[in-house]
Amino acid sequence: MKNAIGREIPERIGSRDVSLYQAAFATLRCDRKAARYQKGAPQHEDKVLHSIEAAIEATGLSDGMTISFHHCFRDGDFVINQVLDACAKKGLKDLRLFPTALFPAHAGVIDHIKAGVVSRIEGSMNGPVGAFVSQGGQLSEPAILRSHGGRWRAVEAGDVEIDVAFIAAPQADAYGNATGIHGKTPCGPIAFSAVDAQYAKHTVVITSDLAPYPVYPMEIQQGWVDYVVVVDEIGDPQNIASGTLVLTKSPTRLLIARMTADAVVHSGYFKDGFSFQGGAGGISLAATKYLGDEMEKAGIVGSFGMGGGTKMLVELLQRGLIRTILDGQAFDLDAVESLRVDPAHIAIDPGMYANYDSRGCATYQLDAAFLGATEVDLDFNVNVNTHSDGQLLHGIGGHQDVAAGAAMTMITIPALRGRIPVIVDAVTTVTTPGEVIDVIVTERGLAVNPAREDLKDRFLAAGLPVRELADIKAEVDAMIQPIRRPVFGDEVIAAIEWRDGSIIDVVRKVEGFE
Amino acid sequence: MASGGVAGSDAKGDCLVRAESAGTPGLTITTKAQELVEDGIRAVVEPMLAHFGTPDLAVSVEDFGSLDYVLAARTEMALRGALAIDALSLAASFTRKASEFDRPRRSRLYAPGNNPHLLAGIEVHGSDCVLLDLEDSVPLSEKTSARILVKHLLGAVDFPQEVWVRINGLDACGEDDVREVLYGRPNGVCLPKTESASDVTRLSALLNDVETALGMEPGFTKIMPIIETAKGVLHCEEIALADPRIVMIAFGAEDYTRDVGAIRSRPSLLFARSMIVAAAAAAGIQASDTVFADLGDDEGLAKETALARELGFDGKGAINPRQLAPIHRAFSPTEDEVAYAQRVVEAAQEAERAGSGAVSLEGKMIDKPVLERAKRLIKYAQQLNPRGNVA
Repeated sequence: MKNAIGREIPERIGSRDVSLYQAAFATLRCDRKAARYQKGAPQHEDKVLHSIEAAIEATGLSDGMTISFHHCFRDGDFVINQVLDACAKKGLKDLRLFPTALFPAHAGVIDHIKAGVVSRIEGSMNGPVGAFVSQGGQLSEPAILRSHGGRWRAVEAGDVEIDVAFIAAPQADAYGNATGIHGKTPCGPIAFSAVDAQYAKHTVVITSDLAPYPVYPMEIQQGWVDYVVVVDEIGDPQNIASGTLVLTKSPTRLLIARMTADAVVHSGYFKDGFSFQGGAGGISLAATKYLGDEMEKAGIVGSFGMGGGTKMLVELLQRGLIRTILDGQAFDLDAVESLRVDPAHIAIDPGMYANYDSRGCATYQLDAAFLGATEVDLDFNVNVNTHSDGQLLHGIGGHQDVAAGAAMTMITIPALRGRIPVIVDAVTTVTTPGEVIDVIVTERGLAVNPAREDLKDRFLAAGLPVRELADIKAEVDAMIQPIRRPVFGDEVIAAIEWRDGSIIDVVRKVEGFE
Repeated sequence: MASGGVAGSDAKGDCLVRAESAGTPGLTITTKAQELVEDGIRAVVEPMLAHFGTPDLAVSVEDFGSLDYVLAARTEMALRGALAIDALSLAASFTRKASEFDRPRRSRLYAPGNNPHLLAGIEVHGSDCVLLDLEDSVPLSEKTSARILVKHLLGAVDFPQEVWVRINGLDACGEDDVREVLYGRPNGVCLPKTESASDVTRLSALLNDVETALGMEPGFTKIMPIIETAKGVLHCEEIALADPRIVMIAFGAEDYTRDVGAIRSRPSLLFARSMIVAAAAAAGIQASDTVFADLGDDEGLAKETALARELGFDGKGAINPRQLAPIHRAFSPTEDEVAYAQRVVEAAQEAERAGSGAVSLEGKMIDKPVLERAKRLIKYAQQLNPRGNVA
């Protein structure tokens, strides 16, 4: 079957039926659902346990069940490894792993897959686990990738029923209230797990800092929590900034950032109350900085900046250039500190951020967004999941949610990475459809989606180097011999869900090269 | 016959090519994303091996993200080393037009001629001129490989601006530079440490020879003498007038201060700067100020650029793209200047209609140089788009 953007999708993916992607906002649901697990508790209950093994026993975790985690320690997380090691020790098999994301720190998951402890994964895979899954034949069912908002929706809708939610909490009290912004090793907001905690059969908070009742802000509430496990360490906050968050010195990347900021300024959206979201890549960070300077120059105060909280965003708040930060997760420790001290730096959960089946998303309030990509194509489709060699190496993050929501979505990319072109005829995997992408910014000029003639006219009037995407592609292709393209077999190793639960694309196993 | 040649490096954007008569003949390629790019690398290297006729050589390419022109340059260098033979003739994949005598040259952006990573995309930053350097930024041991790389770059990239090559002095290896890089049809050649008119005429004669040999139109290649010694400063009047190929003279403060024993400061450079500006104006050509070397000092750059503009320079050198915006701002005509220039031109037109020889505006006499300058300023302003780039 082909979906609305021409991607070949099998009728079934593993054991699930498939609904095909139709459009960014195809159908809006309006019905009652009751997926939440109801459970009462006696008046006095001691929830504290002293080992993860004890929690596994207490929750009755057994073969084939689903366990969930947040990724708010990013590459500094210890808890996923600790829990899976404990599960392995207990002899558990066939678990479905449902993290918000996995990082290189979780390479140990590979051994647990090989040993049969983990047989399914639904969640983002950044790095080695994704590369391993790409080889095919490793999991009993294809992996499912969702956006931040899409995952929240899937839990509320009952698409994924969580048996035990394990929640790394930098600080918790004995009754289960927990936060990510205080404690010995704060990592930033942990509200990614709020939906898990509310919908799971059992919820286990794992903390390295048990503090007196009540711990606040109550990102995770006592009423959702069965057990509180106290351990020595849950993560290393120094590594939440891994891989990204270096302000680039590359003239090419700075040029893209400069052009991005200039495009925002001339977009028509740049006025008092303006709002934006940038990612944590080098180009996005530099664009955020340039944009702040432009706001200062123009005397404009933005209503909110959204993140991934970063030092760059915090500086804009401190300079009075934005009134608030809406922050789903911290990308560095400056953001964590700001969350603690500045009431205008507001932690939000992914439901408020981007739940498709809700009556409003923060991303829908965005004027402008600048996001990255591994590939873009001439239909403006964007790939953030796979590389040109077909390997699954990245999660979706908020990419779909932000692109679908923002009034103007810009993809900021170098036109070439080494000998690998970034603008291609058709992306290897569609993460986000061209329908919701407005501008592609490269060092060789910016291309505007034909549906946005209005933006094109504004950019041209401002003297911005507007070009056809095909022309930029041709210019780059002239500098390198064409690369070979992977040949895909039939085996589906992963499915990419759109925000509404439909399938926008699948990732197939690479069988060879053209 | 030499037994082997090696070229390039393992730096990002570069490649390492070895050609040896020992070992198993053939081509081996190693690179990241091997399956994706190996065939493409082969498609660049194999025709060159065929061109040089190298059946017995063992050639290996280690790629670190090099573009095709880098691969080609490194391969040529390695083969020339292995076979002890002359240059590969190179046809540019497009036709570069000769540049206009008079056009905005507010910035000349330097890039070291033997650093593929820094050369990649040097054309996208909107500088009025790109200057590919074979002189000070290239160590002696890399002079040959740099000029080969620059040649291939010139042949492969359709620069949206003027592209210049700073060659080495003609008493060093400047002649070899010219013979090699003219294959790539640069718009012009910068002659460092120019000290006399005869330095320029010697270069011009060489350019005549090479242009003729390559079938280029004579006079295609412009000259930019760089004045960076005491002698050069004292002779800059004759230098500026030495040859019709000269469109601009440039100042190099680092070498000049060393030569005269000065410490770089506004006063210590003032004489040289003023001499150069006056010589250029007298010869009807442009003058470009020295580079500002402290990349972190935005304020210092802005001050020095404002000074250069005040003194009468038309442009300034840049060592990093981030210096371009302030330089362009300083050397672009302001709205007031354009408005005044328009009034000057209108006044002149009116005087002509009235049959009056004398032109006056707002009570002031407008003489011919003022009128010419006004016309030129309007022409420059028309060539700049709203973002201040040459359209």
